[in-house]
Amino acid sequence: MSTMSMFEGAAAGSFALDRLVFGVEKAPTRSATNEDPIEARAIAAVKAGDAASYDYLVSKYMKRVVSIAWGVVRNAADAEDLAQEAFVKAFENIGRFKTGEPFGPWIYRIVTNLGLDVMKHRKRFRHEEITDAAPAERRDRADLPAISNELAERIDRGIESLPEMQRLVARLYLVEELGHSEIAAITGLSEGTVRSHLSLARGKLKEKLADLHGGGND
Amino acid sequence: MTDNDNFPEDFMARLRTDARQLRFEPDEMMSARIAARVRERVAAESQAGIAQILARWFRPMVASLATLALVATLGIQWAEQSHDTPTIDSMAPAQSVDISVGGDTFSVE
Repeated sequence: MSTMSMFEGAAAGSFALDRLVFGVEKAPTRSATNEDPIEARAIAAVKAGDAASYDYLVSKYMKRVVSIAWGVVRNAADAEDLAQEAFVKAFENIGRFKTGEPFGPWIYRIVTNLGLDVMKHRKRFRHEEITDAAPAERRDRADLPAISNELAERIDRGIESLPEMQRLVARLYLVEELGHSEIAAITGLSEGTVRSHLSLARGKLKEKLADLHGGGND
Repeated sequence: MTDNDNFPEDFMARLRTDARQLRFEPDEMMSARIAARVRERVAAESQAGIAQILARWFRPMVASLATLALVATLGIQWAEQSHDTPTIDSMAPAQSVDISVGGDTFSVE
């Protein structure tokens, strides 16, 4: 099953994207201002109908968007499709984007939610993949070009073993090096909940990686 | 000071440093592919924009008008049907009828 067909399946019953794109939120996020004047001009131009100006935003956020997508779906091909879909969704909804705010958290939020929708869809149809489980796992490992040593691989396994929201928050914090407020903006959680997830994740990671980082000494 | 008092503390800071290499870096080919596909779809969106705007306005209007027309048609039909239904009064002849029985003539109104 391709990611694109998963989008179609997920889109029908999904409210996650609407919830996050259209700003109906549980927790208000700290309002940030856009400090990149070129980005602000590009957004204004896109809003005014100049589609070519969107290239700047795509190239600026490409790497991070793909990386976040990969962190959720753990597959390079799906991450590529997700990134593409996220940029198109953001363009379609650019009219709802608040002028003056940075584009980053918004597009990260879109790609994260598309990824979570795909994961939900995968879980729902997991029975189809039972026989393919081993090859899928091998493919995931093969898609880890950055993991060149045991340490990184163990950290990756540790993060992957966490429950879904802890895993998402831990990956955004540890791998993407985002701050609490940014993670809160991306996930739609409050900063307190983000800290709570991180605290739980830290406890579990400390247990698993105690020998690597001397977890008991902090 | 406990770990919870000093968050993020050393463990997370060190983990963060080591986890940096887990970040997925798309190669140039992948980046170019994504950019090209997004550009293509965005251009298609922009071209279809006017048609879509019109469609967005017209579709609900046409749907509303169609509903109104249907309701009106059904209403008229119902009214006509109920008007045509014979009642005892309507079945009664407008003029009196004379009936002769055994030489006597009766007038029925």
